[in-house]
This record gives sequence, C-alpha cells and structure tokens, in this order.
Amino acid sequence: MNVEVFVQVLIGGLLLGGLYALVAFGLSLIYGVVRILNFAHGTLLAVTGVAASLIFASWQLHPVLIALLLMPPVFAGGYVFYMALLHPLNRRNHFESTVGTVLVTVGALLILSDLTAKLAGATPKNIPLRFAAIEIGEIVVSTTQLGILCGIAVLTVAMHLFLKRSWFGRAIRAVTQDEVGAQLCGVQSTRLKALTCAFGSATVTIAAVLYVLSFPVDPYMGFGLTVKAFTIIILGGIGNLPGALLAGAFLGVAEGMTGLLWKPEWAPALSVILMLLILVALPQGFARKSA
Amino acid sequence: MTRTELPFRLAGVIAVVALAALPLLGNAYLVTFAFTVLIAYILAQSWDWVAGEMGYVNLGHYVFYGVGAYAFSIALVAQYPTAFALLAAVGVTAVVAVLIGFPMFRLRGDYFAFGTLALLPLAEVLAYNLTPITNGADGIVLPVQNVQTISYLLALGVCVVAFLMTVWINRIRFGYALKSVRNDEEVAEVIGVRILPVKIKVLTLSAAFAALAGAIQSWQMSYIDPATVFGLNVALVPVAMVLFGGSGLRWGPFVGVLALAGMQQWLLVNVKVLQTTIYGAIILLIGRFMPGGILRSSWVRGSRWLGALGRDHHEYIVDKRGADPRVAATLPLPRLTVDRRQPLLECRSVRMAFGGNVAVNNVNLKIMQGEIVGLIGPNGCGKTTLFNCISKVFEPTAGEIHFAGRNLRELRRDEIAQLGVGRTYQIPRPFSDLTVQENIAVPLMYHDASLTPRQALEQARDFVAYAQLTPRLTARADSLSLQEKKALEFARALACKPKLLLVDEVASGLTPAEVTRFVDHIRHVRDDYGVTVIWVEHIFSALAQVVDRVVVLEQGALIADGALHDVVKDERVLRTYLGSAAAGVV
Repeated sequence: MNVEVFVQVLIGGLLLGGLYALVAFGLSLIYGVVRILNFAHGTLLAVTGVAASLIFASWQLHPVLIALLLMPPVFAGGYVFYMALLHPLNRRNHFESTVGTVLVTVGALLILSDLTAKLAGATPKNIPLRFAAIEIGEIVVSTTQLGILCGIAVLTVAMHLFLKRSWFGRAIRAVTQDEVGAQLCGVQSTRLKALTCAFGSATVTIAAVLYVLSFPVDPYMGFGLTVKAFTIIILGGIGNLPGALLAGAFLGVAEGMTGLLWKPEWAPALSVILMLLILVALPQGFARKSA
Repeated sequence: MTRTELPFRLAGVIAVVALAALPLLGNAYLVTFAFTVLIAYILAQSWDWVAGEMGYVNLGHYVFYGVGAYAFSIALVAQYPTAFALLAAVGVTAVVAVLIGFPMFRLRGDYFAFGTLALLPLAEVLAYNLTPITNGADGIVLPVQNVQTISYLLALGVCVVAFLMTVWINRIRFGYALKSVRNDEEVAEVIGVRILPVKIKVLTLSAAFAALAGAIQSWQMSYIDPATVFGLNVALVPVAMVLFGGSGLRWGPFVGVLALAGMQQWLLVNVKVLQTTIYGAIILLIGRFMPGGILRSSWVRGSRWLGALGRDHHEYIVDKRGADPRVAATLPLPRLTVDRRQPLLECRSVRMAFGGNVAVNNVNLKIMQGEIVGLIGPNGCGKTTLFNCISKVFEPTAGEIHFAGRNLRELRRDEIAQLGVGRTYQIPRPFSDLTVQENIAVPLMYHDASLTPRQALEQARDFVAYAQLTPRLTARADSLSLQEKKALEFARALACKPKLLLVDEVASGLTPAEVTRFVDHIRHVRDDYGVTVIWVEHIFSALAQVVDRVVVLEQGALIADGALHDVVKDERVLRTYLGSAAAGVV
C-alpha cells in the first residue's frame, strides 16, 4: 500500500472524526444538563444537512451564511422541543420519565427523517463546492478539507472557552454536576435546560454544514451518527470536549482504516463493536467525568 | 381463585377457543390480521418482562426477533425439520442474549436503552455483510409450504404461554427478584438477592419468546431480509404498544397491542402517505402524554368495568385477610447462641479513600458476639462509609474485614447478606412500589430457600406487626411517612435473619416515644435472638440505655473505644464534639 493513500485516508478519517466529535459535543451537553439521551440528535444533523444543501442549490450562498441562516430556527426548535415535549415529563416518576423521553425523542427521529425524505427526497445530498487543492508532495489536500478542519478546531476552542468562561457555560457545568445545588445558587434550571437543548441543537447546525461540504447526507443516516456520538461520549467522558475530540478522531480514523485495510461495508459496525468492547473491558462502565 | 377473577378466566378461555377457531371461517384477511396481532403480543409481552418487571428498557428487543427469524430460516432452508428449526431459533437466540447481557447490564437507565438500541444497526450490518450465512441483502426465501393455519395456531399457543408465564413470574421468587432490581439494585443485593443471574435469566427468557415470534413470522411470510427484521421503524412497535397499554401491568401489553395494532391496520388501509411520520407522531404523543399507559390513567382505574384491567400485579395476590390487630412480641427468627469472648466482626486496618479524600483511615475494630456497640462521631467522620465497607457497598481501598470467620473481600454483597449482615440506611430505601408486606417478604424468601412467596408473605406479617405497621400492611412503601419507612427498613433488616445488624441513625428525627421503641427493639433482638448490633446514632441518651460500649470516629480514624460514660470524658472526644476549650474544663 502506498503512503499517499494512507495519508489521504488518515486526513479523511480525522475530518470525519472531528465532525463526529461536533455531533457528540451537543449530545453530551444536552445529556449532562437535561439528563436525557436525545435519540434524534444525529437525525437533526441529517435534516439540517439536507436543508443546507437545498439552500445552496437554490441560492449558492456561502456555507458560513447558510450556517448562520439555519441556526436561529434550529435554536428555537430545540427550545420549543424541550419546553413542549420534554419538560412536562419531569413531573412523572423515574421509569415513566425515562421511557417518556425515549419515546418522544425516537418519535421525533422518525418524524424528522420521514418528513425530510418526503419533502426533499431520500437521495444523498451534499454541497458541491470545491475549492482549489494544495499539493504537498504526492499528497493532495483540498482547501475545503482544510477549511472544515479549521472550522472544527475553531468551534471546539470556542465551545471550550464558552463553557469555561461565560456565565451560561458555568451554569451548564454547575447543573451537570449538581442540579439542586445550582438551583440554590440561583440558576433557573428549567430555562437553562431549554437553552442547553437549543444550544446543543444549534451546534449541530454548524456540524451539519461542515458535514455536507465533504460527505453526502440522507434523511435516514441520522441514527448511525447518534450511535457514533454516543460511543464517543463513552470513550471521552461526558462534557469532556478534548476527550470527545480525541475519541472522535480515533473513531473516524479507525473507520477509514477499516475501509482501507479490510472492507468498507464493515465500517458502520465499528462504533457499536467498540462500544461493546469498552463496556466489557471497563467493569465500572465508563468515565463519568463532569464538564 | 377469587370471585373477581372468575369472569376473566372464563372470558380468556372463550377468547382463546374462538381465536383458535378463526381459520375455520375461511377469511384469510382476518387470519392474517389476527396473526400479526398475536406476534405483536408475544414481542410486547416478552419485552415487558425485562422492562415492566425489572425496569430495564431494552430497545434492541427486535434483535432477538431477527436472530430467531434468521436461525429458523437458515435451519429450514438446510432441510432440517421444522421443530428442530424452532429449537435452533430459540437456542441460538438464547446464546446471543447471554452474550449481549453481560456487557449491556453494565449500563443503567437510559444508557441501557441506548446501548441496546445501538445493537439494531449492528445486527443489520451483520445481516447484510455475512453473506455466506445470511445471503446478504437478497434475504432468505423459505421452502414453499402452506403454513398459514399451522403458524397461526402456533403463534396463538405461544401467546397463551407468554400470558401464563407473566402471571406465573409474578407469583414466584424470581418475580420478586425482578421487582427488587427494578426498585433498587444496591438494596436488592444488600438484602441477599444475587442480581446478575436474575438479569441474564430474564433477558434470555424474553429473547427466547422474541425468537419464537421471529421464527413463526418468517415461516408464515416465507421470506426475510435484513431490513424487515432489524429495521428501526419496525423495531420500536412492540415497545410503543406496551407503553401505550401500561408497562408492568398484567393486561398492559394486551390492551396496548390491540389498540395500536388496530390503529396501525386502519392507517395502512386509509392513509397512503407519511405512514412513518404518523407512526412517529403516535410514539411521540404516547411518550409525552401517557408513558405510564392508558390502564394507569385515572379514568380507567376509577371505572367500575375497566378498573380491574388496571390492577397492579401485587393487587392480585393481596392478602385478603386484611390487617389483624395483633401485636407481635416474637419474631420467627433463629435464636443464635452467643459467646461473648468470640469476635463476630473484625476490621483490620480498614481504609477507604475516594481519590484524595480518606473517609475511613486505618480503622481497627473488634466486635464480639452479642454486643451492642454505639458508633459515634461528628457528621462526615466515616461512620456510614464504614457500614458501606462492611456490607460491601464499597470495596475498602486497603485492609481486611473478617466476619464470622470469613474474609469479606472474597464475598459478594449478596453473599455477605446471606452470611448474616443486615443493615438499614440513614435515608430509608424501601422498595417503593412494593407493599409493606412484600418489602419484608423479599428478604425472607431469599434467606430461606424452602419458603414459597406465599409463605414468606404470611411470615412477613409478624415482622410488620413487630414494626407496628400492621394497618399499613398492603400500602405501597412510597406512601409511608419517614418514621414508617424507618420502621419498615428496620423490620426488613431483621427479615434478613442477621447475625450482625448495622443500624444507621434510625432514631434521628423521631419523637422520644418512637426512640424508646427502637431502643427496646434493639435490646430485644440482642437479648432474645442473639443479634449483634452496631448502632450509628447522635442521640446519646438513646445509646446510653442499651449499648455495651461506644466507638468514636473522627475524620475517618478511630479515636476512642470504651464504655459510654468513660468515652464522654475522653479529652480527644470532647475536643471533637465541643472544641478544645471544653476539653480543658473537664
């Protein structure tokens, strides 16, 4: 096998893994604060990705503009989703609220993907925008890929600073660690949870635009992404952004290498197998790190 | 059998006979519809053994259905007899369930739900890619046979067995183990239930029935492919059905299956577009508005005719005699022989550190048989942590604990409980959705293998009377007041037939009369039954009435050990409790 192909796959894997990590950020933020696993999280990426590609096809907007355009409605959607559907379940007993949130988010997953498939078609879509390629020796790197990598890096650093420095970020970390304690210190936890849902969903929008720039999306691919994000959370720890980024890069490269060294059709199984292996290997489950 | 159950049984028998006679009508459409309902019921009910009874939401239940379908189809295509193919389906799926169970049961709550759901895409990928075995995306075509009637009757038979199995599970010891896991796994272990085999067993049982459903359905359809048996859009149907009806109720899965299958059929005929969206909306709305199920809603529970459908399992086995007013002075406990010179419990350099925080530091402690020892110290000094080390809620970082000649490091929590360590919690942790009587019956039946649940419930009455909870005998534990919960937990600890009883602040927050009652209880169980007691308490006046000596912990270390009136004069103890100024005064 030649080195160029290897490096290409490595870069592609890092790119994909970074995108997985972005999906995982939102999922783990929402999990940390709201204590629910949002099964529709990856589907949201698929849906916003399809929307982004449609917007691009119609108006040829710059991807950054598309992301800015999509963020407010997704943010509002996340807020309303929490307040209307999830918040009322808090009043119920533990089992009922667990199954209730599972059903609500799974129902949302099915509705989102089916409606999108109906309205936009089920065929994979992307943003066919290609910038000039840079050649370093035998290795060709497109500036699109570089742009996406930069986007991922900027977003990670921004989120990290946001969580560490801003009031909102501190409140998120406080509620993640101890909800009642945070409430006693004046955090309005209901509003914060709704905002976290909204914020977590909005981060998906950026991930979605970056995703469609390099990989095709279709309405039904979402759940696979959610599974990957979940594996990343298990590997990297809840609310641990650097951990998630590392875990995401690992998973992305591992998937790429599976395709290169063995058979690409086994790549989707990798994350689940990895998750099972972690569960077997770590008797205590996994790192329950707080933000 | 009671009078209220008779009409149900008659109706059940008539319904089964009528269903069995359905193919005679010659209406193929009706039979096919009834068949899908039966298969859905098998899946729904078998799912609910894990979810409703044990509290684990297994969203990957359809994996078992698919594995069963594939194993059956492959065996049938290979020309094995049908009976063998059915057995193969059950056998292979059971093995898969055991293999999946070990990693999956490390997860709790919604993590378990998610982990199991992730198995579906994995199974689908496997089915697509293991082409030599599964024939990949082409699927498997079964040999042509006319099996519509026989597969229908088989499905009906499995349904009946599944229903009877549900009733049966709720009457046997195993069912109580499931319920205790559902309520509180740690407590279940601390009272002597070994829970991992229980979890694996119920998952395997549930998988076996799902496999039968898959096998029978693939037989009837004579074709399977990865998408039909592992697709996400079909996999959650049985789950939604159970939750719609009422998870954990005898009639919940049944009612849910009838309602949703009827609705689905109607949609299939009348709505041509966006079926998945509508189905998703139904799931979403069930989750939002009735995750407890329609049978738990107040209008069903309050209805004269439907009320019986919404009954909880324990309401079927309720002691019809009601509460009797006797006050028990004796308990059905063995009278232990006590040798005051022999140690029962020995802690050697026990140390428990959580990261850098050392909660118990190098504690050496010897408790003699038949002693009552007060364990005191300021809040946060490590009293409860020491209890947790003895009952193995925590594994000590260093040191050894010997109890009745055994090193506790080699034993599991449930084995320690079986060996004779009973405990209460500072904040009571009864099994919330079980009755007072059941709360006590669970340890009783797990500490005496010869006791049937019925006998255990009978024996529990004595403990309930002893705890003066007889008027609340059949009340759910979560409806009790704090004092009642403490009394219940004390009685439950006694029902573990302990040699050593660890009592954690049972008297705090009680009125003086109630404190006196607990003091009497503790003296009584020692004097009459030879139970050794370690009592963590802040109320010295209560301790003074009954303890032989007290042990003082401060910041995890043992600082004094002796008779109470000596210890209260000890300088270090005074400093700990009252500050250094006070220590100088005395």
